[in-house]
Amino acid sequence: MASQEKITVYNLADLKNTSDDALTNYLTSLKFTQSHRLTDVRLALGYSAFLLSAACFLWDYKLGFESTKYLTAAAVAVYTILNSALTFWIFYVEKGTVYEGTSPSKSTKIKVSTKTNKNEPVYHVTVEVEDLKSKGGKKRDVLTISRPFADWFDAAGRFVAQPFQTALATGVPAIGEVDVKRVAAVTKKEEVGGAAAGYTPELLEALANAGAVGGEGDASGIDAKKGGKRRKA
Amino acid sequence: MLSSLGSPRQAAAQLMNFGLILSTAFMMWKGLSVITDSPSPIVVVLSGSMEPAFQRGDLLLLWNRNVIEETSVGEIVVYNVQGKDIPIVHRIIRKFGTGPEAKLLTKGDNNPADDTELYAAGQDYLNRKDIIGSVVGYIPFVGYVTIMLSEHPWMKTAMLGIMGLVVVLQRE
Repeated sequence: MASQEKITVYNLADLKNTSDDALTNYLTSLKFTQSHRLTDVRLALGYSAFLLSAACFLWDYKLGFESTKYLTAAAVAVYTILNSALTFWIFYVEKGTVYEGTSPSKSTKIKVSTKTNKNEPVYHVTVEVEDLKSKGGKKRDVLTISRPFADWFDAAGRFVAQPFQTALATGVPAIGEVDVKRVAAVTKKEEVGGAAAGYTPELLEALANAGAVGGEGDASGIDAKKGGKRRKA
Repeated sequence: MLSSLGSPRQAAAQLMNFGLILSTAFMMWKGLSVITDSPSPIVVVLSGSMEPAFQRGDLLLLWNRNVIEETSVGEIVVYNVQGKDIPIVHRIIRKFGTGPEAKLLTKGDNNPADDTELYAAGQDYLNRKDIIGSVVGYIPFVGYVTIMLSEHPWMKTAMLGIMGLVVVLQRE
């Protein structure tokens, strides 16, 4: 898969696309249920616009301009509307969303959007978390993670899944809850570095769970390279 | 490279992007047609019959609505001869009558004789409906691209193919 394939590390679009695909794959592997609502609406808008223009082309080709003038005018108007709706949908509704889905326990709904800024190899991830279980109005949380791509691409341009997944699992409690192992790997690092940023109750809970699993993770040597570094520190 | 065509939805989205580029170009053309009321609002001069006004390769912008006044003598118009597919750019030199039934005679500025010989057999004059627009503006030389493309049809195919490949294989 992606880890076998090398990309050009100077190509920001490649970095982003590979990471976006990996993000979807990761969440799918965690048994998140993906919702394709946004993509489907976009495809529906786009294809209906395209079919309309194809039909317009056909009647223009068969019947000529003069006899189909008003129909063509209507088609142009409808096409403009559909295309504007599509543009609106992409810029104001999708806003760079690459994943939308519910957690395996059906307790949270997450919406992940990513973006990069020109000439800056940093992956900006925004996660909207919606708590489906909470009573009395929906609880919505917005989390942001910004990490350099160098964290999960090696110099040759190969994607390395582990640090990528760790960044997500640690940064987003809703993911961390499901993939405790990945959070565990970071807990130790943060203890060493003494960096404790923005703990939420969910994260603390996840961290508590992580303690038990952490030893196991180290022993099984999931990440021998990282483990070695940690011991040195 | 083919892995960029990941899931069916991603592939469909990329195909759609390519389709939308073509259809948007087509619909913009049709929109211009509707606004100018001309089946072909932009034409390229193919011959030197209107020199020195227009040369081969000039791009002409047409307008086919008589909002203020009728199409009259002295105007340069583009017309289609019945049964022939090539539009001709010439000047109106005579006009008899008014309204849609007016009889019009055209001539190229650079031609020694008027256009009666160019018209279809048995046709001695043009009607307003034969005209697809009056010239309201022009851009020199730009049209040479389309002359090249129509004289060497393989260029068209190649250009379309390259465009398609680029759009499909490159995201963003």
